[in-house]
Amino acid sequence: MRSTFARLILLLLVAGGVTLAGQQAQPPGPVTNQDLIDGLKADGSSWLTFGGNYANHRYSPLTQITPENVSKLQPVWTFQTGTLGNFETTTLVRDNVLYATGPQNVAWAVDARSGRQIWRYRRELPDNLTACCGLVNRGFAALGDRLFMTTLDAHLLALDMKTGNVVWDATLGDYQTGYASTLAPLVVKDKVIVGVAGGEYGIRGFIDAYDARTGKQAWRFYTIPGPGEPGFNSWAGESWKIGGTGVWVTGAYDAEQNAIFFGTGNPGPDYHSGSREGDNLYSCSLVVLDADTGKLKWHYQFTPHDVHDYDSTEVPILADLTINGQPRKTVMFANRNGFYYTLDRVTGRVIVAKPFVQTTWAKAVDAQGRPMLEAGHTPDEKGERTCPDLTGGTNFWPPSYDPRSRLFFVNAREACATFYGYKPEYVAGQRFTGGAQQLVQNRDEKPFGALRALDPATGERKWEFLMPTPSRSGILTTASNLLFSGDGDGNLLALDSRTGKLLWRYQMGSTLHGTSPVTYMLDGRQHLLVPAGTTLTAWTLPDTAAASTR
Amino acid sequence: MRTTLGGLVVAIVSVTGILLGAQSEPPAVNPLAGNADAIQTGMGLFRSRCADCHGMDARGVRGPDLTQVWASGRSDAGLFRTLRRGVAGTEMPSVGPRTPDDEVWKILAYLKTIAAPTTSDVEVGNASNGERVFRAQCAGCHTVNGTGGRLGPDLSRIGSARARGAIVRRVRGATEDFLEGYQPVIITLKNGQTVRGVRKNGDLFSVQIMDGRERIQGYLKSDVREVADGKASAMPVFGTERLNESDLNDLLAYLSTLKGFDPSVR
Repeated sequence: MRSTFARLILLLLVAGGVTLAGQQAQPPGPVTNQDLIDGLKADGSSWLTFGGNYANHRYSPLTQITPENVSKLQPVWTFQTGTLGNFETTTLVRDNVLYATGPQNVAWAVDARSGRQIWRYRRELPDNLTACCGLVNRGFAALGDRLFMTTLDAHLLALDMKTGNVVWDATLGDYQTGYASTLAPLVVKDKVIVGVAGGEYGIRGFIDAYDARTGKQAWRFYTIPGPGEPGFNSWAGESWKIGGTGVWVTGAYDAEQNAIFFGTGNPGPDYHSGSREGDNLYSCSLVVLDADTGKLKWHYQFTPHDVHDYDSTEVPILADLTINGQPRKTVMFANRNGFYYTLDRVTGRVIVAKPFVQTTWAKAVDAQGRPMLEAGHTPDEKGERTCPDLTGGTNFWPPSYDPRSRLFFVNAREACATFYGYKPEYVAGQRFTGGAQQLVQNRDEKPFGALRALDPATGERKWEFLMPTPSRSGILTTASNLLFSGDGDGNLLALDSRTGKLLWRYQMGSTLHGTSPVTYMLDGRQHLLVPAGTTLTAWTLPDTAAASTR
Repeated sequence: MRTTLGGLVVAIVSVTGILLGAQSEPPAVNPLAGNADAIQTGMGLFRSRCADCHGMDARGVRGPDLTQVWASGRSDAGLFRTLRRGVAGTEMPSVGPRTPDDEVWKILAYLKTIAAPTTSDVEVGNASNGERVFRAQCAGCHTVNGTGGRLGPDLSRIGSARARGAIVRRVRGATEDFLEGYQPVIITLKNGQTVRGVRKNGDLFSVQIMDGRERIQGYLKSDVREVADGKASAMPVFGTERLNESDLNDLLAYLSTLKGFDPSVR
């Protein structure tokens, strides 16, 4: 810039904000803690956390797309990853850019207007990974001008949001001894909180917090207590050292209590009861930790001494409800074991515990909230039939909560299996499950799916949408009474969230496997963004009431 | 010329083998046969990876009975290749590139402990009369080595895929279950006409079939009156009045010779 005059003009332009058709006057600054607390704002400009807000509602305030016009949605563009494997991500949105993590720890920043890549991150992964269930990743977290992502070789990365370059790289555990990490991190204040996977590989699970700026470890909470700690006696002998209990789905944060809520995984070996007598704390539990220190505030164990691989790694949802005329602060949890729970999120007391699918291993809980086991459901060499199967009544795919209608929505599975168990030998880095299941599927009986709306105050089912193949899709709801999800055969669905009536569908060619759509405003128009298989597709209405600035 | 071509083939196979993480030529005999640790691990692998289709006892559920594989003449090396590569044109997948060779050998070491060492199938019957019976009674719906009908499954490798008892049960009419891709379906069109066929695929909104005239076609459920699951298999029941015991034995002798085109079936 030669002349002072020219510099002055430039300064004025920048200060005044250069307005191009359809763009905001001022770009947003770095992501702040307040942004994360605010959740999904009315202007629809961002999606900054795994669950939409810290309570994991996945509920958008946007109303431009309605039950009346949703059938007019049109595709805007499709992005393809060019990478083997499927999305399991929740896409973040900020300043008209989409941030998605994909299979094999590849990740992208994509222009929301055109679907064109802005940057791509790719990681050199070692050969002998111990990821049980696909080379997947469930999403970024964001703070400042950084994104955070876990990796299949058990690392936590901070990436520069503008370039995808690695800012810091922290090691969570040794991937060769069974550790991996696949969840979307949770940012709370100045810390990035993550867990590890490996329940089928004899790990000792934990939740870790890292300083967002430096990558230094701030605290660790072992999901299996050590010698002398409370709960240590719930593991016979040395079984605590290789007891699994991973944490591989993102939790919730309650700012009022400064507490984080995480579901924990199955104890290992998965099916062989005799290898680990005792309740096996804190496997198959909800653990509530102080966000600053990682200390345990309280826990509730959904499935003591689980022998059916019923990981409680489902997404907890926080909500304030009115129950029996009283206001209650609750956490809502649809569990893999087939039960739906509403718990008091301050005391941990059970308010509702009721099956939402067919269950045979237990049909009710007692006054203390402990499941009352039915006889004959311990896997052995002969095999025993149990419902639900190991994939469960539901699993890692996110549910949603509509705070106006006060309905909880979950993709449920009705499936049964014959479970076998036998004593396994532990070898570091090898599968350590002690059994297997055989799914019941024949001409007379086979698994099916149902997207169910539950009243969280009672656990009663309000409506269901049946599907011939069970779905693994997450759910998005909106303030205009819309529900977006996918079925088990690749159909993207829009339902009326009040009734479950089908309003619109599109065959994506791949299921929404563990992903859910997100929605945001872009240039005055509400968009739906759908990850499915190896694609991202953006949808919008052909013309809208809210005129754009073009 | 022949040497150069042979050399090229070996080179390609070797490179492919390296890329697949496999040896280019597996050992003829399972290096882990009889190894107690391998059998124990192999049991776990078999139960979690194979049993869903082949049954916990390997006697077959959706996939074939495996207890006769050695008795029917398969070799360790051939079975290794089948697991490494899968079986083209069937639902049998490859174990995948991330499964090391020794895991494949462990599965086979375990399977050997629950399989029959020699065949319990008694071979009786005249295979060439059996081929005549096949052409007359079966080839209308079943293809063998490129010839025959398409409504039923291709039987070119039925001699490897099914033990004698399973074939007899199907022929005599005791269909426990419908094979994937061969479930009977009846579509009633808006004009009242029915289309009968076998279901290839479908979802909440559509169904894809092959009809009795071997036409493949998809139907949107919103464009038809009804789509119903058929109760009876499209395959007729061949009772003794239709196929006597002598002809059945001859037919089975013929079918047991059908081992398909797969070169690893050795």
